[in-house]
Amino acid sequence: MLKDLRVSCSPHIGQRYSTRQVMADVIIALAPAFLFAVYYFRQYALILVSTCVLTCVLTEWICNLICKKQDSLGDLSAVVTGIILAFSVPPSLPWWSAVIGSVFAVAIGKMVFGGLGANIFNPAMVGRAFLTASFGMLMTTWTVPATIDTAAAMPAVSVASQNVDARTQATPLAWSKEVIKHKADVKIVNGQIREMFFGEVGGCLGETSALALIIGGIYLLIRKTISFHIPLAVLLSAGAFAAIAYFINPEANMLPLAHILSGGLLICAFFIATDPVTAPLTRRGMWLFGIGIGTITMLIRVVGEYPGGVMYSVLLMNAFTPLIDRLFKRVPAGGKPHV
Amino acid sequence: MSDLSEYKFTFAGGVHPPENKAITEDCAICQGPVSKQLLIPLSQHIGAICEPKVKKGDIVKAGDVIGDCEAFVTAAIHSPINGVVKDISLGSHPVLGRVKSIRIEVDQENNQPRQPSVEFERAVDVSRYTPEQICEAVKKAGIVGMGGAGFPTRVKIEPNPRLPKKTLIINACECEPYITCDYRIMLEWTNQVIAGIQLAQKSSGCGEVFIGVEDNKPEAIRALREALEETEGADDYKVVALKTKYPQGGERQLIKAVTGKYVPTGSIPPMVGVVVLNVATAAAIAEAVVCGRPLTHRVVTVTGEAIAKPGNYYVPIGTSINDLIEFCGGVTEKSAKVLSGGPMMGIAIADLDTPITKTSGAVTILTKEDIGKAKYKKRQTPCIRCGRCLEACPENLNPTKIAHAVKYNRFDISESYYISACVECGCCSYVCPANIEITGHIKTGKIHLARQKKQMPQ
Repeated sequence: MLKDLRVSCSPHIGQRYSTRQVMADVIIALAPAFLFAVYYFRQYALILVSTCVLTCVLTEWICNLICKKQDSLGDLSAVVTGIILAFSVPPSLPWWSAVIGSVFAVAIGKMVFGGLGANIFNPAMVGRAFLTASFGMLMTTWTVPATIDTAAAMPAVSVASQNVDARTQATPLAWSKEVIKHKADVKIVNGQIREMFFGEVGGCLGETSALALIIGGIYLLIRKTISFHIPLAVLLSAGAFAAIAYFINPEANMLPLAHILSGGLLICAFFIATDPVTAPLTRRGMWLFGIGIGTITMLIRVVGEYPGGVMYSVLLMNAFTPLIDRLFKRVPAGGKPHV
Repeated sequence: MSDLSEYKFTFAGGVHPPENKAITEDCAICQGPVSKQLLIPLSQHIGAICEPKVKKGDIVKAGDVIGDCEAFVTAAIHSPINGVVKDISLGSHPVLGRVKSIRIEVDQENNQPRQPSVEFERAVDVSRYTPEQICEAVKKAGIVGMGGAGFPTRVKIEPNPRLPKKTLIINACECEPYITCDYRIMLEWTNQVIAGIQLAQKSSGCGEVFIGVEDNKPEAIRALREALEETEGADDYKVVALKTKYPQGGERQLIKAVTGKYVPTGSIPPMVGVVVLNVATAAAIAEAVVCGRPLTHRVVTVTGEAIAKPGNYYVPIGTSINDLIEFCGGVTEKSAKVLSGGPMMGIAIADLDTPITKTSGAVTILTKEDIGKAKYKKRQTPCIRCGRCLEACPENLNPTKIAHAVKYNRFDISESYYISACVECGCCSYVCPANIEITGHIKTGKIHLARQKKQMPQ
């Protein structure tokens, strides 16, 4: 009757909420963006997402096999990495480079550090950085959403893209860079806010539709999978930076709202920067981390040469996470003890 | 009785596990089993371990002192029944592992089960007792904090000119899931509890008195308020409804909820002029002072889905958990863990001969389903730094950092994250999605640190 008694330290009950459910929540939250991606980019979305997810999962499985580690696919983190990587590359990226990016993301971005929880950098961003460095051309060729008939909405910027492939088009951010370089008209971008909100613009697979990302972000906030600190800090600091830039020179800079809706800022704020493994633990740390990402992103966008700065800002701030954690230690509720 | 009642008092952090109090909350306190023998540990409190005052073969009577000690922080131990000392040897103890204990064979023919005191059918006049008398009676009765920690009550309520006491808080939260013994005491022994509070106030010299009850016990709040109105000299006591949240009944959290201030880290409540007593302790004080009865019996909740007859039982201290379970009709095959205490802070029992002590308020039997598959199999995944333990920590610590520092034997790092401020409530382990035994690591770390500082044997 009472033979198989267990002993362990307290507490003896636990909340029924596992790492797998945390990751499942993120996958559910990414579903609207996936649906929008399928709607706008059709087969490209399906091919890219399935390639990235499959490769990521397979890579993790093989890495575990090689390292003789316990199978960790059940935590679904490889699936999340795959989806986010697929969402942050151009729709026209060939499948083989998606495979290379995924392998690099999981093997070098995560598994060499010891798997989930031990990685310093966001794996998906590591994979994307590798792809950007290796296939610069492929990573900046943007496909027009299939729902747009012509590229009329956003004038093609370079002669090359006009002639070679009529179905490519500048993203709003790439256009804003042209504004600075060639004194083109920034109003064309600013007039596209409605399109940016719904996603009818060129861009990376999953980041064009602000609406879908906001829906997913709200889901995560309601489920308390993420806290509001990082997204708010990223968006507020980026918005403030953009507002100052716009105030100084409205001729050359996009509207702050256009900045927030365009590029990877929203997917970053809700899905990439909030990756708990690579973000600080304390609330004050989260604020600093978010502000850092928002500010660096805008610095790259407004001052730098490169149109989108999300990836580098996330990777840079990831590197600062341990320092931020050390900087903002929690003080016990009863104050620091007098020793 | 005051407008305080509408406002929800609470603290930051904490969790809300399923309460599961419905199993026993309507079970009136009734007599527990009559065992063949009792095992009475000589340490049931914080402080010096008692020396046995009897020898093997001695005949003892109910209420006789069988263990005592000259130290200041200690509590005398009495025999709950008439019987013969069979042995004095090491015996299982729920908290301390194995401890010197007195084994008493119960005189089966010559024993009346002790009944709860009858003097408290109406309010008791406490004006005839002086503070010195109260202290002496509490000391003689060997009363300790019955909420779990077991700090000798006499030390708490004794007037101390260096640390004058201003506020008396009665801990009636019972925030731990499953347990209902304090709730039943409040409902059934209301006058006794209030008499105990009055005596404790008189002895300690506290100016204000608060009774903190979680708001999931409206019946208890009503019973206490009604009784307070009828009691002379107790009408300025405030019954405070606290938000139902674990660990609302933790001493530091209760003080924060009621007074709005945290006790400074590393400090104890008397240093800020606060005394906290559990309701069961208050009832024991009244019994000791008014009836002169030592603390030899207590109310224990025996609960869990796996037990046939759950309930709140009045049992002699020293009764083995096995006797109690047998008395309650035994357990079903589903049972997986027997706990002394509740599921959040209770201790898993390996030896069913472990006795009930002055501080054990419950015996909880958990099934596999209660524990959950992941916890039952002790399946842990890596920490993903989600920060849930930080949100849940009622002491605003960084549990995951402390736990991982301990895991890799970096006790210096764990100290820099204030490991000693941890109250071991278990909220961090409860919320952890990776199912890491954070509280367990922290407890381990504390022991290692104490050994390093030579405060504890190897």
